[in-house]
Amino acid sequence: MLAAAALALPAAAPLPQTAPIAPAFADKVAGTAITVEMMKVPACDGTAPFFASRVELSWELFDAFLYHLDQKAGGSTAESDAVTRPTKPYVSVDRGYGHQGWPAISMSSKGAVQFCEWLSKKTGRTYRLPTVAEWQCMAKASGVTSATMVEHAWTAADAKNASHKLGSKKADAAGIADLWGNAAEWCVAADGGFCIMGGSFKDKVIDPAAMKPIPETEDWNESDPQFPKSVWWLVDGPYIGMRVVTNDAVPTNPPAKAGTQPAAPAPAGAAPASTEKTK
Amino acid sequence: MNSTESTGGVSRRDFVAISTAAGMAAFVAPSVLGAQVAGGEPKPLKIALIGCGGRGSGAAAQALKADKGVILWAVADVFPDRMDACLAQFAKHPAKDRVQVPAERRFSGFDGYKKAIASGVDVVLLCSAPHFRPMHLAEAVAAGKHIFCEKPMFVDAPGYRSVVESVKAAKAKNINLMSGFCWRRSAPEAATFAELEKGTLGVPMAYYGCYYTGPLGTKKREQGWSDMEFQVRNWQHFTWLSGDQMVEQAVHSVDKMNWCFRNEPPKSAVGMGGRQLREAIPERGDVYDHFAIVYEWADGRRGFLNCRQEPDCYFENTDWIAGTKGQCFINGWGPTHWMKDPSGKMLWEYPADAPKSDMYQNEHNELFKAIRDGKVINDGDWMVVSCMMAVLGRMAAYSGQQVTWEQATASTESLSPPQYLMGPLDMPVEKKPGQYKVS
Repeated sequence: MLAAAALALPAAAPLPQTAPIAPAFADKVAGTAITVEMMKVPACDGTAPFFASRVELSWELFDAFLYHLDQKAGGSTAESDAVTRPTKPYVSVDRGYGHQGWPAISMSSKGAVQFCEWLSKKTGRTYRLPTVAEWQCMAKASGVTSATMVEHAWTAADAKNASHKLGSKKADAAGIADLWGNAAEWCVAADGGFCIMGGSFKDKVIDPAAMKPIPETEDWNESDPQFPKSVWWLVDGPYIGMRVVTNDAVPTNPPAKAGTQPAAPAPAGAAPASTEKTK
Repeated sequence: MNSTESTGGVSRRDFVAISTAAGMAAFVAPSVLGAQVAGGEPKPLKIALIGCGGRGSGAAAQALKADKGVILWAVADVFPDRMDACLAQFAKHPAKDRVQVPAERRFSGFDGYKKAIASGVDVVLLCSAPHFRPMHLAEAVAAGKHIFCEKPMFVDAPGYRSVVESVKAAKAKNINLMSGFCWRRSAPEAATFAELEKGTLGVPMAYYGCYYTGPLGTKKREQGWSDMEFQVRNWQHFTWLSGDQMVEQAVHSVDKMNWCFRNEPPKSAVGMGGRQLREAIPERGDVYDHFAIVYEWADGRRGFLNCRQEPDCYFENTDWIAGTKGQCFINGWGPTHWMKDPSGKMLWEYPADAPKSDMYQNEHNELFKAIRDGKVINDGDWMVVSCMMAVLGRMAAYSGQQVTWEQATASTESLSPPQYLMGPLDMPVEKKPGQYKVS
């Protein structure tokens, strides 16, 4: 029916086919085959210009962090190895939606912050979660409206209750993909607390004009069967992911050449024990 | 659309009806525990937690949330530090006022459970390492307590026979016995299996369940630990304590297979397994890190169960059913549940916007409601089949033989140590197919 209605409209001039916007820069993550592409986001409403990742954080990169894959590949430094990493999840944390090329989901705000810390050590730029104000700048720069949402965003309208491959819908006017829908994105609120923005594949309607931060709540991990509940994973947050931002056009603290420093020795008597759980 | 119509009827009410039909064995006179005291406050229901790890502590938290009258009254664990750590966490819990466990009601050691059960409680939560469950269950039933019994319920055939007796005794005493097979209390799964019972998929002929995940954590040996302490603290990695991955973890998938095939035991099983990537350290005990089991029923239906605990490999924990009219896919973590005909047409789909269902909380909500209402839930008959199917699968893989249900259930091999004492204990040796015999 939608198609029929569209056909009934007067024939419009074809949309101009614009070339994809080139990233401002890209950081290769040592010890992995992954490059993080960063897009320029202009200043707006008193917020300084900054750079945001073109796509939401992928499982490939989060896996490298989570499972020490960079370290195993000999591509890490003592600083990056020293960052505390999440416990390994005990269920299919990708929920079977997809893995290679799909957005990383279900990480807690703590896991998201630690990832940024790790990526900063890996690249020498200070990566972090966006503030709500910055996210709103991205929203403004996206040019996406309720009317064009379906072209850019995976929502409950067509997502079939699952996340989708990164960038599988049209990038927005700033060259950023999946800002709206797919995985909701961790942000830092004005009061310093954590929240999510952008809506997700679970939302039936995403209205840019009504977009408000949703503050972090214990409900997102309500059904963790363990007590204390995991601080790293959100059993009830399969729609929560993240995107990194930075202000650093150039690395301010370049890492030592990967693999040239010996890994930090484990403290004496430190147990290799992890807190992975069974259920 | 057809799929919308056929899913429109799935509701919380239907789910309760399903689980009631499955679990409510009898209606008995309202229990004294159901009485309300003056002022409308619920009469206290005292509980004892046996096994104070992360899952046991979680079960206690769910019990506290399920019923405002629940008081955590006593705890037991082999190790005092585990009890203290658990209770320290509850100092920050919203229901901390109902956590009333002074030092004199914290019972350590191998026989601490007896004292906890005898401490004046109404309900016990059995959440220790699986090896000890049969003796804990027998004691709780003998004392007439209502029971939450985590999975697995036993690790060997003597344990199976003990639990079968406890189930009978629990029925005779009208005791509630709620199993920890949580998927049975998950709304999407309950709706899926109810749809299966309606015949939407025809007759289920084959079931494939998988539990591909990573290795579990270990605890490095500390000074002063005896062999026994070392093994019990690393219980997941010792077959005598956990039953191995098949019995301890993949039993959830086995339980769904059993549910699909209406809780009727299979005729036999063959299987494979081994220790491919377990590090050669004592912490990794004697358990395998992968299994592939084929179950066969008397009429030829088959069930396939693959599981793995290996690092940096593909993760999946889903189920698939082939029926005479199509296929069914179950992804409890998605959640995604559907049935399609051979042409790919959707026959049934669980609604994506259905209310969230916390299966772990549902178990306790149903248990405590039944206690209040003077009703009896007894999961015993099917839970012993699910658990024994997992033991059968392990026996088939360990032995490298086809093992029948009769052989497995009649096995006299006890995995128990010579004595329950913190002292010397031999390291168990990995079982070799073709050499190990089911006896």
